[in-house]
Amino acid sequence: MNYETVIGIEIHCELKTKTKMFSGAPVAFGAVANSCVNEIDLGHPGTLPCVNKEAVRLAIMAATALHCEIDPLVKFDRKNYYYSDLPKGFQITQQFHPIGTGGYVEIETETGSKQIRLERIHMEEDTAKQFHNEEGTLIDFNRAGTPLVEIVSKADIRSGKEAAAYVEKLRSILNYLGVSDVKMEEGSMRCDVNISLREMGSREYGVKSEIKNLTSIANVQKAVEYEVARQSEILSNGGTIVQETRRYDEAQKATVSMRKKEGNVDYKYFPEPNIPPIRLDEAWIKEIQSHLPELPDARKARYQREYGLNDYDADVLVASRELAQFFDAVCQYTKEYKMAANWTIVELSAALNKANLKASDSPCDPKHLADMIHMIKDATISSKQAKIVFEEIMKGKDPKQVVEEKGMKQMSDSTELLKMIQEVLDNNPKSIEDFKNGKDRAIGFLVGQVMKASKGTANPAMTNQLIKEELAKR
Amino acid sequence: MQLSQYHNQDVKQRVYEALEKAKALQPKLNAIVSFAQDIEEQLEALKQIPKNAPLYGVPVVLKENVNTKGLLTTASSRILSNYIPVYDACIVEKLKAAGAIIIAKSSMDELGMGGTNLSAYSGPVNNPYDLSRISGGSSGGSAVLSAADVSALTIGTDTGDSVRKPAAYNGVIGMKPTYGRISRYGIIPYASSLDHVGYFTTSIADAAVALHVLAGRDDRDMTSSYREVPAYETLLNSDLKGKRIAIIDNVQNAIKDDAILANFNQLIEQLQKRGAIVEHVSLNEQLLSVLLPTYFIIANAEATANHSNLDGIRFGMREDGESVEEVMRHSRTAGFSTNIRKRFVIGSYSLFVENQDKLFRKAQKVRRLIVEEIKTVLDQYDITIASATGSIAPHPQDSVDEKLSDTYLIAENHMIMGNFSGYPSITIPCGFVQGMPIGVSLMAKPFAEQTLFDIGLAIEEETGLRGQIAEVEA
Repeated sequence: MNYETVIGIEIHCELKTKTKMFSGAPVAFGAVANSCVNEIDLGHPGTLPCVNKEAVRLAIMAATALHCEIDPLVKFDRKNYYYSDLPKGFQITQQFHPIGTGGYVEIETETGSKQIRLERIHMEEDTAKQFHNEEGTLIDFNRAGTPLVEIVSKADIRSGKEAAAYVEKLRSILNYLGVSDVKMEEGSMRCDVNISLREMGSREYGVKSEIKNLTSIANVQKAVEYEVARQSEILSNGGTIVQETRRYDEAQKATVSMRKKEGNVDYKYFPEPNIPPIRLDEAWIKEIQSHLPELPDARKARYQREYGLNDYDADVLVASRELAQFFDAVCQYTKEYKMAANWTIVELSAALNKANLKASDSPCDPKHLADMIHMIKDATISSKQAKIVFEEIMKGKDPKQVVEEKGMKQMSDSTELLKMIQEVLDNNPKSIEDFKNGKDRAIGFLVGQVMKASKGTANPAMTNQLIKEELAKR
Repeated sequence: MQLSQYHNQDVKQRVYEALEKAKALQPKLNAIVSFAQDIEEQLEALKQIPKNAPLYGVPVVLKENVNTKGLLTTASSRILSNYIPVYDACIVEKLKAAGAIIIAKSSMDELGMGGTNLSAYSGPVNNPYDLSRISGGSSGGSAVLSAADVSALTIGTDTGDSVRKPAAYNGVIGMKPTYGRISRYGIIPYASSLDHVGYFTTSIADAAVALHVLAGRDDRDMTSSYREVPAYETLLNSDLKGKRIAIIDNVQNAIKDDAILANFNQLIEQLQKRGAIVEHVSLNEQLLSVLLPTYFIIANAEATANHSNLDGIRFGMREDGESVEEVMRHSRTAGFSTNIRKRFVIGSYSLFVENQDKLFRKAQKVRRLIVEEIKTVLDQYDITIASATGSIAPHPQDSVDEKLSDTYLIAENHMIMGNFSGYPSITIPCGFVQGMPIGVSLMAKPFAEQTLFDIGLAIEEETGLRGQIAEVEA
């Protein structure tokens, strides 16, 4: 039997605000437990929610970037359930009127680009964090009330690869917008994957399982692929899938059952009475929308159009917002875009990785890299020398100073070079003879002698050319 | 004692006299849950308040659901029987800034859910005019302490008629301003869309001063109004010439007590003599007869969510259990009375997905229709008027909260219209029947509190009941 994989993904993303969704308590990752809370976050009697305008602004940015339609009338609802990480016994969310509806994310697949349609994007508040140990349960309420957007895709995803591409793309977009830290490993971006199989050609949905605890994009793909294999084996053997929540266990490289789902939970949603509907100013929405930062697709297109970069280089740069920003900064000072891209992608990335730094924290000044590129281009230094210079500019030094200090200037003056070449040729009659006898290798030897004589400063390309010319004359 | 009578008295002496009186009456009235422990600190803090502050050195009593930092606030429920708030309600800040001294917290129906005050965890409150009769509720303690002349201003809250009905039963003024006029921040809720802060005084002049102090925008309550607060007390004008008054016939027709009707009719004649234009209106009888069930569905639905925070985990009474879930279940089972749990079940039931259309949403729709009906009348009149209650304060055995006879449905529940609409409404004492006080209920357009005070002043002048108090022998 041939099965089609059907996947929908829900992503929860913490918004980068100073304060919480409905309270003035600070939002901080990694702070001392229960130090970023007030009476509202703890659900004390008599407290009331107050909507964080900055969170609404960030949500509008996200919704716009995802091509959603914005509802200018902001409303909130209560989702009721009892759990010790939910202080009020309900979560304030946007069940009936999400801030954004429709929209899509475009991903690249083996067969070309594909649109993954979105159901909705809505604002809500995060829960507290629980730690279970032998003595009991510890609760840290710092996270309680942190603003979230939940982005729900339609069931348009068909494979683990597509799932990973979708999450990657979404993460990149949200990162470019600066609305979220999007760190899966820290939980500022969390993704729940709903996955089911159905007979090829069928329109009915199969029974789904929901996979949680996916801490990396690689794990999204691995988990989906494991789950597809698991479900298709059950179905092929005539079994039935049980609706359940599973989590991805990294050690076992498998999804394991967390709990069975007995029908749908009734969350008894109803409109939050303490937050009157808020009519957003259309001008404010337009203002936000007209100041969106450049998104990854647009930036890639610009790199190809304006800088003539190839697909691969553009992709690599755009994949990291910080790296792309550094590249853009270098391009402020040079028109050697291809070289700038190469140095950024290869040498800079490697050096940053080694030092465990983000491109935004690079000790190398983009202008210095541009200056060095110009030195290579006009043959002031050789590419071999450039590697040494680069090590120094990564320490924050000016390349001109480095070249001067190290006496590295490349000898590119043809009169001077020629003088040196004549000397070398005069001292090596055997090599000239070899060359005349058809041994091309001799040129290499002669170039090497010139380099030696010049202490490595001779411009290799010019040297090579001039030697050939001189040999022809003799 | 009225505010005007406090002048030229020693503040400390006055505060301690009020405390002494409250303590002496406690065995008779049982109106207080706890006395303030920080009187001296408050008197010390008063030194920073200008002597001409409107409530300078005035002893004030708060209902047991008004959060007071460091002072027990139980909402008269076992589940909060050990709850000491970590913050002050907005109105506590306002009262203290105006010079008030908080002397005690008064008894109420458990979590505000009742109209008799029989369900308070500290036991029933007795009517000062006849200790064998009920105080009414849910703000029974504050109503009784106003009537017994312990304090010129006592604070209550009004979700159905929880200030205005006990005011009628105890012969004092009960004021419920427009929804959003007084911040609810720090008030332990019953049903957020219906909850109002209200208060008791023995004169219209005092009621005007009190609203001037309590009203105003609070950024912590998104439903609170930005409207400026007038100096009501300086604008008082009892001239009734040309004032348009609508008698709600449905209410008067439903009342069976001839003495109450006669008193009402006499008052109307007096108002006409002063130049008021009094006309009869009939509201849609069918809508009025479903006031109570509609109220019950909305209030209980909101209440069940509002009180989901009372789970024994972060504060309040905790019962042991094997798991977190069990702790929550045991705490809630032991912490709420049977009647409260019944209301939670009703509230939840009306919110179930399969019931929302026929219960919760239908109730919301009926609420809108009723508000439309009231609005139509108040578009043509300055106020509506009706007898506050269909009877004098009953004995406990005769009082039922949920009686479904026609008389009861309309005569005893019409004041809910003020909560459905959020329109301002006041109860004013208008005489005695069988030695027990009765009251008349007024309702005006949104934010037309001044109209209520002005017409109320005329009524007070006609009845001569300004400053009316009950003499209770300690």
